[in-house]
Amino acid sequence: MSASGRTSSAGVPLARRRFLATVAAGAAAVTAAGCARGASTSAQPGTTSLSNDNATWDDGYRKAGLELEKITGYSLRPLSNPSVTSYQQVVQMTLETSKASDLVKWASGYQLKRLARAGGLTDLSRVWQRYADKGWVRGASRGAVSYRGKAFGIPLYESYYVLFYSKPVFKRLGLSEPRTWDELLHCAEVLKRNKITPFLASQVGGWPAIEWFQELVSKVDPLFYQQLVAGKASYTDDPARQAMDIWQDFNRKGWMTAPDFDQARGPGALKEGTVGMFLHGTWQAAGMSAAGMEPGVDYGACILPTVRPSTPKSVIAESGVFVVPSRASSHQAAMANVGAWLDPSVQRVWSDFLQDSSANPRVRAGNPVVAGLQRDIARNRRLPLVRYWEASPPSLIQGNSSDLGGFMAGQTSPATTLRRMQERADSEWAAWKRDEA
Amino acid sequence: MAPAVLLVTLFLLAPFVWTVHRSFFGDSRTTPFSWFDNYTLFASDPALSRSVQNTLMWVVGTVVLPFVLGLAIACMTDASRFSRLARLCVVLPYALSGSAVAVVWNFMLTTDGAVNQVLDTFGLGSLAQGWLLTWPGNTIVMILANAWQATGVAVILFLVGLQSIPPETIEAASLDGATGWQRFRHVVLPQLRPVSIIVIGMSLVNGLKSFDLIWVLTQGGPGRATETLAVSMYNETFLELRPGAGAAIAVVLTVIVLAASWVYLRRQLDVKGV
Repeated sequence: MSASGRTSSAGVPLARRRFLATVAAGAAAVTAAGCARGASTSAQPGTTSLSNDNATWDDGYRKAGLELEKITGYSLRPLSNPSVTSYQQVVQMTLETSKASDLVKWASGYQLKRLARAGGLTDLSRVWQRYADKGWVRGASRGAVSYRGKAFGIPLYESYYVLFYSKPVFKRLGLSEPRTWDELLHCAEVLKRNKITPFLASQVGGWPAIEWFQELVSKVDPLFYQQLVAGKASYTDDPARQAMDIWQDFNRKGWMTAPDFDQARGPGALKEGTVGMFLHGTWQAAGMSAAGMEPGVDYGACILPTVRPSTPKSVIAESGVFVVPSRASSHQAAMANVGAWLDPSVQRVWSDFLQDSSANPRVRAGNPVVAGLQRDIARNRRLPLVRYWEASPPSLIQGNSSDLGGFMAGQTSPATTLRRMQERADSEWAAWKRDEA
Repeated sequence: MAPAVLLVTLFLLAPFVWTVHRSFFGDSRTTPFSWFDNYTLFASDPALSRSVQNTLMWVVGTVVLPFVLGLAIACMTDASRFSRLARLCVVLPYALSGSAVAVVWNFMLTTDGAVNQVLDTFGLGSLAQGWLLTWPGNTIVMILANAWQATGVAVILFLVGLQSIPPETIEAASLDGATGWQRFRHVVLPQLRPVSIIVIGMSLVNGLKSFDLIWVLTQGGPGRATETLAVSMYNETFLELRPGAGAAIAVVLTVIVLAASWVYLRRQLDVKGV
């Protein structure tokens, strides 16, 4: 209203304009904040940011970071993205930008080779050599972290694929840890008879579908497994067919959980006694503890026996790595921390948190079950095999994991599944080699 | 006008043009020009053929179910005693995000989930099955789950439409001796035409671009059996690491969505003379 009592015609547009200007300014501020370097990855004094795809490990990183800080002056600041799929995309995209984390958790093998091939990673060969001189890394694992002769990763942990089993259930049913194939079948039969699903098998999330495949193929013939993942043997060859037939037989007998059983429920199912054995990485030991299970009391673990007694003994090994983006916000700090990561004082804390094997062979696992497995691997001189997920070009593994998921759901027969996997292997290996050339 | 044109160009047209451009290049490291190779995958890749089949099922399901259910619920609750409560129950799922809905349905549909447990409890264990494991059942249950959520908005729109119908027209029909069905068929339904166009148009587009529910429930699996074109696009681009193939799927999907929307809306709006 004006002083004269008339309604001002200019008043309304002015108010609207002011309102719109305020909204626009607010939107601009929000946009600017969104486009600015995220506080999470920006350099923060005394810390190194760490991209991680397993939020349950954050606490362990922080604890290990406190030990690192004593050596390097830099602690660890984990930034977690618990979805493996989106994590991989975010990491690959941020490597191209100035927003890369200082340290990035990544897989070894071909997953790392592909990342290194795209550029954007720091050559860690000198760091590796210093570790090798001190005996803090296993020499055999250098190949899994190297691309064209240069090491691009420092091992984060070393896990083995094993059968966790419920000790109380085994004790109640008079079963003992299976040491031969026949004993394994006997355990499964007894468990099934007592209305307990003998084995956990899952394809939820995609990648778990590889677990039984890699395990059965390697326990039929570990040398064939090596040839297969290197593209030098065919998926339609006899050992692969034999492994798939065993798997199908287990399914038909009702020895496996439904394929849509989420592995995250594995420790709980083992504790409840609804599942007898859980094939998984030893890093799952932390999950067992989180479910209130005590190692050696509530659960034990063994390596899946070979199908024939004469088959060479092997173990599937998985080693995550730290990589350092060349455009890391605090590159110097990141290099200092990867240079001290395998220090025994840091690894003691990390291994105890993870309840898994340290990548430093001089650090014994604190978890008695895992320590027992380490002794078994050393005593039996088990052939270490690279986990399927990292052992061949990523596009091949991704597609084959889908095929294995289809097989688990009963969509395809063993023969059809293997034929499709081989067709993909032919094209993907050719593409990989073409790209390398 | 200018800022709007600029924003549309920057955020919609430019990425689309880039995507079309990318779809003509291969996925090897040197990304060579490959003509229509990425588009021929629709003929050669069985996973993409299945994806097209699933997309068609989704379109039919997401158009028919929300339309029929939405109209039925709106008509039944428009003047009933418990209409507000009933409407709230139907509309509530619409307020949930697709991912949240998927989490709830995952809890129900897994092999050891709530649905099979209820069937077991009532002695119907023989009907229990892996609802998300076998095709086409897994796609159908996901379409039903989607309809559970999407019906809410159809109900709201139809209620608005019903309330805008002049009561005199219905009274006049009654005086002329029209039965309930005849009043609905010849008086109510024609007057709901504008709302129906919107409901069907929205459902059509939603069906073609369905992603979140599928991704959370099955990630397109097992064995890529439940992928729709939107999921295949994501899968090829980010998981199989074939951005060229992903771009080709994105282009095909965009063309289908635009063509379907254009044909449908043009036909419907022309009839009304708009």
